[in-house]
Amino acid sequence: MNRNLEAVLVVGASGLAAFGVTLVNLASGGTVDAQVGLTFVIFLLGFGTVSLALRRFAPRATPHLLPPLGLLAGIGIVEIYRLNPVRAGLQRWWLLIGAAAATATLWWMANNGVAVLRRYRNLMLVGAAALLALPMLPQDWAFPLKGNEVNGSRLWIVLDLGLVDLNFQPGEVAKLMLVLFLAAYLADRQPALVTARRRLGPFRVPEPRQLIPLLVVWLGSLGVLVAQRDLGASLLLFTVVVAMLYAATAEAGYLTGGLLLLLAGGVGAYRSFDHVQRRVTAWLDPFSDFEGAGYQIAQGIFGLGSGSLAGAGPGLGRPDLIPNALTDFIFAAVGEEFGFAGAVAVVAAYGLVVAVGFGIAVTARDRFRKLAAAGLTLVFAVQTFLILGGVLRVVPLTGIALPLMSYGGSAMLGNFVLAALLLRISHEEAT
Amino acid sequence: MNGPIRRLALIVFIGFGLLLASLTWIQVVAADTYRSDPRNARTAIALSTKERGLIVSADGQVLARSEPQAGAPQAFTRTYPAGEAYTPVVGYTSRLAGSDGLEQAYSDHLRSRRDLTISDVIAALLGRDLRPLNLQTTIDSRVQEAAYRALGGQRGAVVALDPTTGAVLAYVSSPSFDANLLVGADAVEQRQRLLDDPAAPLLDRAAEELYPPGSTFKTVVAAAALESGLAGPESEYPDQAEFPLPGSTATISNFDGQACGRGGTVTLQEAFIRSCNTVFAALAIQVGADQIDRIATALGFNRELEFPWPVAESVFPRRDLVDDPAALAQSGIGQRDVRATVLQMALVAQAVANGGEVLEPRLVARVFDADGDTVEQLSAEPLGRALSPAAASVLAEMMERVVTEGTGRRAAVPGVRVAGKTGTAEQPGRPPHAWFIGFAPVEDPRIALAVLVESGGNAGESATGGLVAAPIAAQVFEAYLTD
Repeated sequence: MNRNLEAVLVVGASGLAAFGVTLVNLASGGTVDAQVGLTFVIFLLGFGTVSLALRRFAPRATPHLLPPLGLLAGIGIVEIYRLNPVRAGLQRWWLLIGAAAATATLWWMANNGVAVLRRYRNLMLVGAAALLALPMLPQDWAFPLKGNEVNGSRLWIVLDLGLVDLNFQPGEVAKLMLVLFLAAYLADRQPALVTARRRLGPFRVPEPRQLIPLLVVWLGSLGVLVAQRDLGASLLLFTVVVAMLYAATAEAGYLTGGLLLLLAGGVGAYRSFDHVQRRVTAWLDPFSDFEGAGYQIAQGIFGLGSGSLAGAGPGLGRPDLIPNALTDFIFAAVGEEFGFAGAVAVVAAYGLVVAVGFGIAVTARDRFRKLAAAGLTLVFAVQTFLILGGVLRVVPLTGIALPLMSYGGSAMLGNFVLAALLLRISHEEAT
Repeated sequence: MNGPIRRLALIVFIGFGLLLASLTWIQVVAADTYRSDPRNARTAIALSTKERGLIVSADGQVLARSEPQAGAPQAFTRTYPAGEAYTPVVGYTSRLAGSDGLEQAYSDHLRSRRDLTISDVIAALLGRDLRPLNLQTTIDSRVQEAAYRALGGQRGAVVALDPTTGAVLAYVSSPSFDANLLVGADAVEQRQRLLDDPAAPLLDRAAEELYPPGSTFKTVVAAAALESGLAGPESEYPDQAEFPLPGSTATISNFDGQACGRGGTVTLQEAFIRSCNTVFAALAIQVGADQIDRIATALGFNRELEFPWPVAESVFPRRDLVDDPAALAQSGIGQRDVRATVLQMALVAQAVANGGEVLEPRLVARVFDADGDTVEQLSAEPLGRALSPAAASVLAEMMERVVTEGTGRRAAVPGVRVAGKTGTAEQPGRPPHAWFIGFAPVEDPRIALAVLVESGGNAGESATGGLVAAPIAAQVFEAYLTD
């Protein structure tokens, strides 16, 4: 049965992660230590729990989603361990927390299904907006919840508990709420968005009213860019919403209109913001300003190029030379040590997740489920594309986490919940 | 609604296709370019921590090897156990200070083949040995060390060749430095210290620096005279204390300001033995710039020599001399604008010793693999004939008499027939360079060399080639020939 195959593959992914940690141990000349066993046990515990939850709460869910996610998280943890063993330890805890959140999500929806979310439509919009705004809280007030700025982007909140600081990126959860709100909203409002049309000479143009959602999103995205100086989140937000509008209405005008607004916003942002200009310059020719703006991208490319076909081997490359190798540039680190072979496997695993996600959307039972599945898949796909494209110089670099691989707890949590929702929708489609 | 979703999926997968295309470009097509980019620190790190091949001397002494680092089985430290005498030959490979010498020139042979470049992967698939290759140099440790010791820290150089094979037996530049200094963590500071050192230990005085050859160039002028048949060893010349330069009031005088012999006339042979400037000034004008240039070029002047690293081009400025007899006269005694590397002057001695045939100087004898099997054997490469065997043997005889009864007596080695020519190259405002070129044994030459001591060395103003350079040559001959 397929659930058994899934279980076997999840055990395999855990084994692979543990094997990778073993190789890193050997490469550093040390002995194989407890980290190997710990990695295996925690992966098995995390993904195994989700797998068991699926048997219990969503037995007909696709078995093709969890194994590639396990593989990606496994390769990610090996590379994080190789770069910073302490962070790898933290990341394992986040993996467990993410798995627990996914299990909770599945359990919550066991009786009423994913449709239960439609009840909280407007609450999710408010929640998403509030979460997006949280990092704008003052950084230095007495209240223990503070905004925080990292690398020039205002994306973080800190829960100051005296002894420890808990850092969290609320945007990682906000984007899920936004997708679910949009799915519910568009499922309810679709007729109004499609029917009205007006003629302007030979062209059929949409009612101006129809363009309002597009403009709202555009302004919202620009707001994120200006207030939080985060190009990645801004682009992700805009792209996903435009794509969902298109999916809901089949109006190609949303895509072309979106593209035009994207270009306009891009040109405007390029003219107005130094940090956007620097990113574009570094994208076009990172080697011309090697010591400056291009340094990070150039180091990533040097890492990838040095890895070549078979890679240096886990622990044997020098990904520590790449700035932000733990987060934005984890893919360059993986490419250096696992080589072209490993990097292609990673891209293929992401492709598989995305393909399965779109498949769930296509076969989903109703409009809400289709839109929710498509939106969640788009969030995952666009985010993956933006950061991989940034590292590989396909698009300008936008600092954004690579799902399941980059070090970071909020993203891990968000992506586990995203996977749980997709799995639940796939369970419901077949009934 | 499935239509738009499918189209969105298509767009996403086109994007993923672009990612794969770019990934293929970076990691496969252009990978070697990025790997070898000088700004990619990995290259230098890999060079300095991966295992590299051995460099050994002709007699099997280890000059460079990679030692595994304690506690890190994959990482190696490059060490140069044979000391500073060998640095100008072996060079170094350093993460922080770059590379030089054979380490740089043969980097492709010496490097680890486990880099997993495309070519390494193909080699691995074909089942080839992936262990680094090793070099055996032509350097003889006895000659190399004797020459370095004989220079005794004075600024200068010694190049010794096997006259019948072109093998470089010694390649010494002094002062030198311990290459191990540039391998450590403080390599950058050490390198700066060497750069700031007024004695310029990083300078390769054997091939990088040009010097006026002084009277050693008389060997070339004499060769041109003999080869052209314009003069023989018994040809007679006026024995003057001063030679008036044509078209000028200046004169060329002999070293001690006196006539060469007893006055009257002197033979070419005697003039060569006593290094008479007045005779060679006249001879240069008699033989002519074209003829001297022909021989000089055949010996290696005015051209680029094949060598593991760039050799400064020695100069005989024919074009400036054709219509300027005064300049030609000065050039005939190796002054004015004539310039030569020490390696070039060793080639002059080599050609005379080898019956007139010039051989390409070679520093590497063979490349061998980890099993000791020869992968590449390098053999003698003729550069061309400069002299007929007859002219060469007459010149050899004249050079032998320089050592037995002339200015080069201090180059003599008991029981060995040594031939040579001294040189004392004047330079304005500083003590002269002391030169000696020669070979031994005369009846069956096994070693030819050139010795240079810059600006008189320890002897200062009183330095001459016979006083300062000839004794160094004697020690080198002795080290190689009397065992």
